Amino acid sequence: MTHAAPHATAFTLPDRFGTAEFGGCYAPETLMQPLLDLEAAFVAAVEDPAFQLELKTELRNFVGRPTPLTPAPRLAARLGLDALYLKREDLTHTGAHKINNALAQALLAKRMGKAEIIAETGAGQHGVATAAACARLGLSCTVYMGVTDMARQAPNVARMRMFGATVVPVASGQGTLKEAVNEALRAWAGRCDAAHYILGSALGPHPFPTMVRTFQTVIGEEALAQVLEQRGALPDAVIACAGGGSNGLGLLVPFLGYRLRRFVVEAGGHGDGLGEHAARVSREGQGGGRVGVLHGCKTLLLQDEHGHTAETASISAGLDYPALGPRTRRPRPGREGGGAAGLRRDGAGGREGPV
Amino acid sequence: MEPTMNPLLPFLMAGDPSLAALPGLLSEAKALGLDAIEVGLPHSDPIADGPVLQAAAQRAIADGATPIKVLEALAACAESPDVILFTYLNPLFQLGAERLIGLLRPTPVKALLVVDLPDDQEPDFERTLRDAGYPMVPLLAPTTDLERAKGLLARRPDPGPGAPFAQRFAYVVARLGVTGSDQATDLAPVRERVAALRGLSERPLAVGFGLGDPASLAAVRRWGTTPVVGSALVKALAAGTGLTGFLTPRLT
Repeated sequence: MTHAAPHATAFTLPDRFGTAEFGGCYAPETLMQPLLDLEAAFVAAVEDPAFQLELKTELRNFVGRPTPLTPAPRLAARLGLDALYLKREDLTHTGAHKINNALAQALLAKRMGKAEIIAETGAGQHGVATAAACARLGLSCTVYMGVTDMARQAPNVARMRMFGATVVPVASGQGTLKEAVNEALRAWAGRCDAAHYILGSALGPHPFPTMVRTFQTVIGEEALAQVLEQRGALPDAVIACAGGGSNGLGLLVPFLGYRLRRFVVEAGGHGDGLGEHAARVSREGQGGGRVGVLHGCKTLLLQDEHGHTAETASISAGLDYPALGPRTRRPRPGREGGGAAGLRRDGAGGREGPV
Repeated sequence: MEPTMNPLLPFLMAGDPSLAALPGLLSEAKALGLDAIEVGLPHSDPIADGPVLQAAAQRAIADGATPIKVLEALAACAESPDVILFTYLNPLFQLGAERLIGLLRPTPVKALLVVDLPDDQEPDFERTLRDAGYPMVPLLAPTTDLERAKGLLARRPDPGPGAPFAQRFAYVVARLGVTGSDQATDLAPVRERVAALRGLSERPLAVGFGLGDPASLAAVRRWGTTPVVGSALVKALAAGTGLTGFLTPRLT
């Protein structure tokens, strides 16, 4: 059933987060009404039991949820831990957490009467997930992907095409996720009357960060129930990686309010200089992020002194993004572990903090 | 026809072909009798621009056209139409309002057009600039209905007939999408929008995005609105055509 979005004249959900007032909606005027209507449609869908039931059913029957929580005793012993559990988002259909959000947004698009989907992708996981969701729901799908990422993630390009998506190479800049988002935003501005843009990470203009966070918290909700069932207690810490932040928010948000440590790991790259890493938070003030505006939101941004977005480097295509989503907050000084650059191994740097 | 009717609003990218060429280009525009010109301050991620202006921004950045150098170059332009500085928020935001105002003072800049700054996102920044004489140009898109347009025009108000065109006009985006004139723009829908907007406001209107050929520009001019020519001019300048030679057949 199509529920045409009410014609919204103002946002109703909070769009600024934390004392630095990250987030917001820094969008070209062409996209403002589509974003207002998207928020209204999102709010209506989330409050509609029929939508929730449809989403839950598809997450079970198509995505394969719940995904297991796998104890990893040998890895735990190797690391000197009592226990370690892996939340197996790799076991979803298409092999990453991205499908949770892509499917939910595709259902939302269908509800809004939009038959065309636009998406960006970095590593290709979000592109594959969106292509699969579109194939499932009979929507046309165009994925924008940087040429560097297309080369290093060629199997994912093949999978998108197998699902019937058109993959558009983006050659500008360093040919990675940032350029793909630029091009997807441009394409959406040209087709916003007919197309919905499924942004894959918890970034971009409002309401995307909130919408993506909402659709990804299924990860943490399951993990919380599963760890209590298997271990009979809360874990001491929860750890997730963050490119834009959808995976990190998805896992960590349901653990907010409990007495445990929450880590977000970002890409440490191969050096300390600007352009040699994607450590927005860990190196804040030391060649890391400064408050800036990119892709429609205010957040910690890797940029040069002139406000031009910096290049990034990571062995992981999925973490190679210059800004952290506005809802993944900086550690508060003085909090336990708040100043620790905790994890750094194989190119990843990390810092603990609330999300 | 309104007294403030400006026959053409050209756009050029500062630093392309070079910052050294900027004073000459602006002086040529002045000699053509133009009231105003848009000058792009190049940004690394121009999400509302098509391939031509993206490439121009990249060339300008590679050539060292930083925001400060662009503003310093503008300060050296003695003969110039009023300049509307066209850019994205982050380069200006990094300078901060106070420093930006200091850099703008000696330039011919009269207004700012910041593509990714809706009027409610940085109210202090915007108010400080407006109070210093640098108002933001309101943008009206094909997705902007009349009710929304009314609000946008009220929140970025017309200072009145005593003010120059650069500070008064609203920018009507001719079509969905990004800047550039590779595809012909169907003028019928924007013509209807312009007629409807006339009922809302007396202020001058400029119409841009996807116009470039003399016939489209002339059609827009016949509505009593000022056509914008951007990508087509930038392309011509990059190919070595002079500004005067390119604009002259597009002025009538």
